[in-house]
Amino acid sequence: MTERFEYPSDREAKSAARAKALEALLIEKGVITKNTVDTVMNFFETKMGPFNGAKVVARAWVDPAFKRRLVSDTTKAIAELDLPEGMVGAEGEHMRAVANEPDVHNLIICTLCSCYPWPVLGLPPYWYKDPTFRSRAAREPHAVLKEFGLDIPTKIEVKVWDSSAQIRWFVVPERPAGTEGMSEADLAKLVTPESMMGVAVAKAA
Amino acid sequence: MLMHFEQFAVTSMLGTEDRPPRANGALCFGDDWERTAFGVALALSRGGHFEWEDFRQHLIAAITRWENSHALDDSSWSYYDCWLAALEAVVIEAGLSTDAEIGVASARLEKVKLTNSAADTPDGGQSAASNSNSNHGVST
Repeated sequence: MTERFEYPSDREAKSAARAKALEALLIEKGVITKNTVDTVMNFFETKMGPFNGAKVVARAWVDPAFKRRLVSDTTKAIAELDLPEGMVGAEGEHMRAVANEPDVHNLIICTLCSCYPWPVLGLPPYWYKDPTFRSRAAREPHAVLKEFGLDIPTKIEVKVWDSSAQIRWFVVPERPAGTEGMSEADLAKLVTPESMMGVAVAKAA
Repeated sequence: MLMHFEQFAVTSMLGTEDRPPRANGALCFGDDWERTAFGVALALSRGGHFEWEDFRQHLIAAITRWENSHALDDSSWSYYDCWLAALEAVVIEAGLSTDAEIGVASARLEKVKLTNSAADTPDGGQSAASNSNSNHGVST
């Protein structure tokens, strides 16, 4: 048997058994089918992701009036774009965008759990859910950003936005220099999930 | 795109090194059971069995219980263990199953995996072939 199927610990094996057993029980009871998880996950894996957020940011970069609308009423502004259905609901109904400025840098976290703007960023990375990251980012954002390789001078304010049941924040990074004249599609390629979380800035290719 | 910390977390903490990237390029789950737990939670909530906010409160409670009993950088941290605890809680509250039923089903599944897996080496280094005197107490 290949290493791929070795569980590294007893706890991992128990968790796997519990999760799979729960799914099997629910299928047996007719609550879900054996295809339900794949159908749900397919939606996440193909329709919800940072490619959506990148389109939103690219539009904000080329259209300052859109950027203003995006920040003041995010849901309504996003609806102007041709994005997949499902922008509302499932951690999307109260998304709010905050824009980086030359004197303000924004960072998003969820101190209590892992609230995240799924429709525009997909699923959060492991470190976003890590207890150490969640508590330190709230208390010492400059230091944490430096560990991500982002050196924000202390005179520049770092605003930390704590997502919750009510609001899931994402960041509109600043448009990098040297991108004048680029198409929206090409600009979208420069927008990384990290830049929309605030642990990085967007760079020209 | 796979961020460096995420790559590190997946390969070093969870031991599954050769999982393919997802459609949007970002690896979401370190193991299949995590994806299952996630998908089941979403599906049941969308199906009206519980409010997402109820699930989220249970998730917060599970995370808080762990944080209150561990150093924050303790390597036993498992987000999806907390997720699973929350999922079981809402499933039980919704009357879809019971703690006992879930326990029996998972013990049975665990036993099946152990007896089928010749290369399985649970803690203690004891192999668990179906005719061994395995007595490390995982399931009997």
